[in-house]
Formats: sequence, C-alpha cells, structure tokens
Amino acid sequence: MNVISFLIGMTAVVSGICVVGLRNPLFSAFALVVNLLAVAGLYASLDAHFLAVSQVVVYAGAIMVLVLFVLMLLNLKSESGRRLGFVRCATALVVGCMVVMSALPPILAHFSGMSSSTVSDNMMSSVGTVQAIGRELYTKYVAQFELASLVLLIGIVGAVMLAKRKNVELAPRPGGLVGGSK
Amino acid sequence: MFELLVLLIKVGFVLNIALVLGSLCTWLERKGSALIQDRVGANRAGAFVESDRWYLKPILPVIRMMGWLGVINTLLCDSLKGLWKEDFVPEGTSKFLHAVAPIIAVMPIMLAFAVLPLAPDFYLFGYRIHPRVAPIDAGLLFVLAMGSVAVYGVAIAGWTGNNKFSLLGALRAAAQMISYELPMGLVFVALIVVYGTLDVYSIVEQQGDLVLGFLPKWGVFMQPVGFVVLLLAGMAETKRGPFDLPEAESELAAGYFTEYSGMKFLLFWLGEFCEIALFALLLALLFFGGWQIPWVQLPEGVWWAALLGHFVLMTKVVFFCVLQIVIRWTLPRFRYDQLMNLGWKLLLPVSLANLVLTAIVKVLA
Repeated sequence: MNVISFLIGMTAVVSGICVVGLRNPLFSAFALVVNLLAVAGLYASLDAHFLAVSQVVVYAGAIMVLVLFVLMLLNLKSESGRRLGFVRCATALVVGCMVVMSALPPILAHFSGMSSSTVSDNMMSSVGTVQAIGRELYTKYVAQFELASLVLLIGIVGAVMLAKRKNVELAPRPGGLVGGSK
Repeated sequence: MFELLVLLIKVGFVLNIALVLGSLCTWLERKGSALIQDRVGANRAGAFVESDRWYLKPILPVIRMMGWLGVINTLLCDSLKGLWKEDFVPEGTSKFLHAVAPIIAVMPIMLAFAVLPLAPDFYLFGYRIHPRVAPIDAGLLFVLAMGSVAVYGVAIAGWTGNNKFSLLGALRAAAQMISYELPMGLVFVALIVVYGTLDVYSIVEQQGDLVLGFLPKWGVFMQPVGFVVLLLAGMAETKRGPFDLPEAESELAAGYFTEYSGMKFLLFWLGEFCEIALFALLLALLFFGGWQIPWVQLPEGVWWAALLGHFVLMTKVVFFCVLQIVIRWTLPRFRYDQLMNLGWKLLLPVSLANLVLTAIVKVLA
C-alpha cells in the first residue's frame, strides 16, 4: 500500500512540475490532467473514495476537457524561450515558500515520530464514505453548502448573460437565406 | 497470498467478461446489421475448411459452422488484419499522443467494469467471494467518472489527427458526451434516492424485494422515466446509434479516428463495443434486477445459485446489447441541433423533474 501511494505521490509531483515546466500549453494541460488524476489516487489510497471520484468527475472529467478544447482550438504554438522577469521570479519564490511553510509542521511532526494529527485510522476509514460526507454537509456545514450553491448559481446566470447575444440583426442575404437570430 | 490470488483471478475474470462481451457485440453488429439490411453478411472465411489432420477432424464441423456464421471472419480475420496493417501516423503532430489516445479511450471503460458486481456473493471452501474487483463505496459514481475520463481519448485522437474532420469529430464527441452526462448523473441520483445507497451490489440486492405484494422492486418499475432517459443518454454516451455524429461517415470521413489505422483503429472499436456491453450491464444491474429472477428466491451464498445468477445477468446483458445494436441499425442519424435540443431541452428538464418527484415521493412515503 505504501509503495503504491509513494508512486502516486511521485506521479503527482512530477506531473505538477511538468505543468509549469513544459513549453507547449497543450502538454501542460495534459500534465495537469495527470496531476489531478494522481491526486484523486492519493485520496483513494486514504480511503476517501467519494472525494477521489468527485475529483475525477468534476476536475478531470469536466473542467479540464473544456480547457483542453480551448487550447486545441486556439492552436497555440509552444512558447519559445521567454525569460521570466525579476518580479515574477520573486513572486514565485515567495508564494512557493509560503506554501511549503504551511505544509511544514505536519511533515516535521511526522518525521520526528509523533504524529500531530489526532485522526486515528479507524476514524479515517469512516470519514471518506458518502454517508459521512453527506451528513456533515447537510448538518454542520449547511450554510456554507448553500452559499457555495449560490455562488454557482451566480456563475450560471453570468454565463447565460454573456452567451446571450444582444442586438444581432443581420440583413437578409442576397441568396434569400435569412441569417442571424432576432 | 490467497487473497491476492483470488483478486488476480477476479481481475482476469472481469477483464475476460468485458472482452468477450465486446467481441460478441462485434459479431452481433456484423451479422445483425446484415440481417436488418437484408444482406447475408460475413459467411465465407472458414466455412469450407478441409483438413486431413486427425486432431482437426472432429472439430471440423464446428469450425465450418463458425465460418458460416461469420464468427471467424469478424473475430479472427479482422483482428489479424488489424495487427498486420501499416501503422500510419500523420505528420506534424505528437506521435506519443497519437499512440496513447486509443489506450486512453479503452482503459476507462475496462476499469469501469471493476466496480460492477457480476454475480451474488457466495462461499467457496468456507471463504466468502465477492464477484467484483473493487467493492468501493461510491461504485455508481466511479462508472460516471470513468465515462468522463474516456472523453480524453476521443479529444486527443481528434487533435492528433491534425486535420479539420478529426478535430470537428472530437469537438462533437466531447460536447455530446459532456451534455449527456448530466441527465445520466441525474438519473443515477434519482436511483440513489430510491434505493438509499451508491453501492451497486446493495441496489441489486434490494431489487429482489416486492412492492405492493406482486411487482418486483426493479429499477424499471420504480423509475420508468429514469430508465428511458438513461437509455437515450447512454446510447449518446457510446456515440452510436442515432447519435453517431462524432464519426458521421457521410460528413466527417470517420470523425475523430479518421487518421487511425491498424490495431489502433481497432482499439477504438473495441472500446466502443465494450462501452455497449458496459452500458448493457449497467442497465441490467440498475433497472432489471441484475441476477434476480422475479418471484423466485434463490438460496444465498451457494455457488450454484451464484452461477445461475450470473447466467441470468448475462442473459439480460446480451438482450440489451442486441437492443442497442437493433436501434443503431434502425434509426437514422440525428441532426446536430436536434441532438443538443434532445439533451439540454428535453432529457435534462425531464430528469430534473423526475428527481424532484422521486424526492417528494420518498419524503411522503
């Protein structure tokens, strides 16, 4: 089990580096898909099956497909050796350090032998089930859950508004075909 | 060690089921389409085979029969032809992605079989055997997830084709698969509301009960609207039947796999036929009671009952395979706007209303 999680974790790390390192945006997108799938694998190895499956359905299955298609249709060429400026490098360094710092305490605690997490293995196996997540979502976190759905609704309405064409009135074509919508 | 062995046997068995059902569909498609179109179909290869070898003599009639039925032609000759054909790769595109795309198209379909039970649990040598590879909690969602991952195979194939027909086919396929996943997911949610679980095994177990004293608690009786919606959405998911716009021969050459040849091309076909089988299995398990025989209670945990249940399930699966093939060869192709209208303006609202209605009934009951 440990070997498998290690392999999945390495896949996630390598593909993550590929996402930012590869020159061709399309290959970066594919690397991101692999990364998302690997993270789903990590969830699954922690017995959080529902989380893993939702990760695949939502991120890998829906969002990335759209990203991929935009990239394919734009037909972008791979970026040729553009230098990163000082500001960008500095920002990346600072943000990276902050992320590592935030993850540092549990890692250190793990390696010094005393796990800081109070979650036992027994609890872990019941946390990831659909029932447990559903109960938590609809009792403890119901306000946040409803807020999230409100945000999504706003997003949907916004998308519809953007997609709706305004004042498109095309003149009849000489061939007699009437084009455009009213 | 023993558990690992059992797991390996199960993996082999499930993979075998997937491939056998896939090849059965291939043959059914060839001969069935011939039957429907009033042709004879494949009936030559192997039909007149002669041999003086002693070990071939007794099985010669069987081989001739297989040849006459077109089995040898569709399964043996076609696959050998695929293996020996030139493997053409178009210029100016990623060779790696071109090679990987058919694998990505097939692999998720095979994986989805892992969570579906193929027979009731039974005891063998005092050891309880679950006839499925991965008994995970969110089994039904896993099938949906694998369906959405399969889009990548199509998308990559269309892009690496490096021509407009392929890309158009891939675009159509992705749009179609994403659109029809929504009603499919909503039907699954309604089923979950009815049976109160995401576990396919538990859903099938519950379908052995009776409602109102005489009606089997099958999904088709509990969710008749859901069944129709899932049948349509599933056929659109498999990109076949009246929904074969992504590969519309008369418009796009062959759509997303225009530039594929040899075994890579056949892999797409295998994936498609396995998807038919997967969908038929899903229909049989969720809506037609799986291995349950109506009004008959089979003893629990006995090996022969499990075997009988498996055959019952497979009979239903083959029925749905045949149904899909008959629909595919009977109905003409949709127009693209009709396809999108059916998905977004009919199936989605109907499945939503179905879900709300199911929830209301569930709360009141």
